[in-house]
Amino acid sequence: MIAYATTFNNLSGNAAKESDILKIVKEDVLRMLRERKKKTSIGIIKDEIKVAHALIYEALEELERNGLIAIQENSISLTDLGQESAKNILEKHLVLEDYFEKTRRKIEAHTAAHIIEHYVSGEVINNIKKLSTLKMGGVPLTKFELNKEGVITDITFSDYRLFERIVSMGIFLGEKIIITNEISRGVVVKIRNKKFALDKIIAEAIKVVEYERY
Amino acid sequence: MKDIKILLIGQPNVGKSSLLNALVGPKVTVSNYPGTTVEITKAKKSFNKIGIEFVDTPGIYSISDRSEEEKVTERALFEEEADGVIVIADATSLERSLYMTLQILEAQIPTVLALNFVEDAEKKGIRIDCERLKGILQVAVIPINPLTKKGIDTLVDTVAKIKRIPKRIFTIEYDDHIESAIHKISSQTEKTSMPKKFISLRALEGDEDFYKYLMNDKIIREAKESLKEHPKVAEDIAITRYGTASFITEKVTRMIPLEKEKKSQEEIDRVLLHKISGPLATGLSLLAIFGILLYLGNLTQGVFTSLTESLLSSLAPAKHSIITMVLVNGLTGLALGVSIALPYVFLFYLFLGLLEDTGLLSRFTVNAEWLLKKMGLPGKSFIPLALGLGCTAPATRATRVLASENEQFHTASLFAFVPCSSRIAIIMGIVGFYGGMTLALSVFVTSFAAGLIWVFGIKKVIEIRSEPLLLELPPYRKPLIKNVFAKSWIRMRDFVYIVIPLLVLGGIVYGILDMSGIIHVVVEPLLPVTIWLGLPTVIIIPIIFGFLQKDLTGAMLLSVLGSEISLALNALQIYTFGVATTIGIPCMIALGMLIREFGFKRALVLTITSIVYGLLFAGLAWRIISII
Repeated sequence: MIAYATTFNNLSGNAAKESDILKIVKEDVLRMLRERKKKTSIGIIKDEIKVAHALIYEALEELERNGLIAIQENSISLTDLGQESAKNILEKHLVLEDYFEKTRRKIEAHTAAHIIEHYVSGEVINNIKKLSTLKMGGVPLTKFELNKEGVITDITFSDYRLFERIVSMGIFLGEKIIITNEISRGVVVKIRNKKFALDKIIAEAIKVVEYERY
Repeated sequence: MKDIKILLIGQPNVGKSSLLNALVGPKVTVSNYPGTTVEITKAKKSFNKIGIEFVDTPGIYSISDRSEEEKVTERALFEEEADGVIVIADATSLERSLYMTLQILEAQIPTVLALNFVEDAEKKGIRIDCERLKGILQVAVIPINPLTKKGIDTLVDTVAKIKRIPKRIFTIEYDDHIESAIHKISSQTEKTSMPKKFISLRALEGDEDFYKYLMNDKIIREAKESLKEHPKVAEDIAITRYGTASFITEKVTRMIPLEKEKKSQEEIDRVLLHKISGPLATGLSLLAIFGILLYLGNLTQGVFTSLTESLLSSLAPAKHSIITMVLVNGLTGLALGVSIALPYVFLFYLFLGLLEDTGLLSRFTVNAEWLLKKMGLPGKSFIPLALGLGCTAPATRATRVLASENEQFHTASLFAFVPCSSRIAIIMGIVGFYGGMTLALSVFVTSFAAGLIWVFGIKKVIEIRSEPLLLELPPYRKPLIKNVFAKSWIRMRDFVYIVIPLLVLGGIVYGILDMSGIIHVVVEPLLPVTIWLGLPTVIIIPIIFGFLQKDLTGAMLLSVLGSEISLALNALQIYTFGVATTIGIPCMIALGMLIREFGFKRALVLTITSIVYGLLFAGLAWRIISII
């Protein structure tokens, strides 16, 4: 079950980010309409998405203006364009949740999916989507072949600082990766035109699957 | 109008120093705290009556406190009281630059985004919509090219108006559980200039430096306990931040398919990162650089020595007057200083700067890793060790690039065996000049052997948990010669302004001590040392003076023995003298830097132990050689 817009329980303290929040409210409205597959009243939306009502009206107004929803009296439905857009959003969440369930505990999987669904780039989502159809979680980078294109499926470190360093360098889930050189104590990899020398210990903590496989 | 202060922040190799150069130009005074890669450089210049001080910071990927670079930059961000920040972003990998930008925006520091490598990105088919990026982040986004000065004027104009942070700035929305934890912690933070949300985030991410802003220690524990959905809250924060950064990047980037990019970069790496040819090429390049330095050093020393000699004889002074002594000793010191500074210090830093700016240094670091790991050292220690060939003092400071204090100390202890320019000058200028090249070479070999024994001895005693290798390898680039020169000058300034005057002063002080006869009082009690070394008693004077300032060693030796050294000492004695003065923490300045980095006790123990070890080794070495 997907929780709607739980992101906004704590809206009061964050007045500065309206545009950002509005985007997420809009996405959640679309997703909700898509899931219910029928006309929905504003009241139901207000109940499910627990944010300031003014924000819901604003979101609905914008969605209507963009031609994504149709509002007739009190009932709201998706337009064809809205259907398409909502499908993507719903898919994105399901893909992520499904994917993370393979690598994390269930509750963590839901949270992880929820955290990044609104942000993660289309390319990364596409890669993850393809990955989630694979049962395997990938092999450690140390066991991966030289010069073969792979995709990062998991990064696990017990040391958070090392994890953050790696992520901030651009080594992230769903990114394409190629081992370009083997060095005596590890590997040299290429990710998005950037090269990194990685120690064996780090390479072992990064799981990859072959890009061709999906 | 009041002056303003601006920090330059960006990833390693993103072009911060090139930008600084483009902003202030090489003619402007640059004050610098010595050290490499962990240094802060400040430079000031007036633009239309507004003085702007730029503070260049070490390259980092995120504001965290993992490495010393990050600590230095974090401190600069929060303690320099800067008016704003220029984030230098890499257009070829915008998402990474945005990760850090988002962190800085979370700290609500007024920010301007300078987009570098726009042309490189376009060659790779990446187009970035600056207006759109500006719209999302609500900060100025300015494409720049420090080499052609494109965008520099606009950047300066924008920076001059940086004063206030706009109201509607972009912030990341974290998961609701995290947001509510942030909210909880925020309500219990002390009043500071930093935004509460930022403090709460840093605390949740486990940065203990920020715990001091919390009213009590329990808050953070409680907040983490309440986050059952996020057993790894810090990781989830990092994921969200990177996710946001890549989301924004996707929104503002357009990819244009291109024909295959040039393969030459890959070709070079195939050789330089190969398991066998890589280390080989690294070793050979370093040897070649070393050879060139020694050759040029010899050449300039010859020129300067004859120049001073002819100058002194043309003065034709009266004998034994104080003025003569001051002139002679002072000039000798000056000549020595210049003949060391020019080849060994300046040229060395020039080569180092070239290696850095071409992208070769990082490949060399990867190749040296294997050998260094064998010695119980992390690959990154390559940088301070290479710097040690210039001067031990800044190299000691550069050990900060290493993660743990044990690693730092272990690396610093090796400076006893990595001859700095002054020691190279002794080996070449004294041992080589008076005893021949073979003898000079055997001093290098001996001190290397002594170093190996030391290293493996230490490895047995101290367990060092070293950091795993994690290094970005920048693309090969054509270096901007002007930049390399500026960087070398910055690094050698201290040598010129501190060491050369010390050399002149040292020569004069010795002259006074000698004339007054005090010198012999010092020599007597140290008789056992010279007996052990098999050297004339007076030799202890250059050794002692050498510790005050290493370059005094040569000058003092000439003072006590006269210029006919080969008459006073035989070949074996010259060799012993060379070894005894090479091994060990070289001088007071190095000791001072060690004290600053590792505390009085550890610094003193290391210095005394290494010097005694050197003297013992020198005595043993000549005995073994004379038996053979």
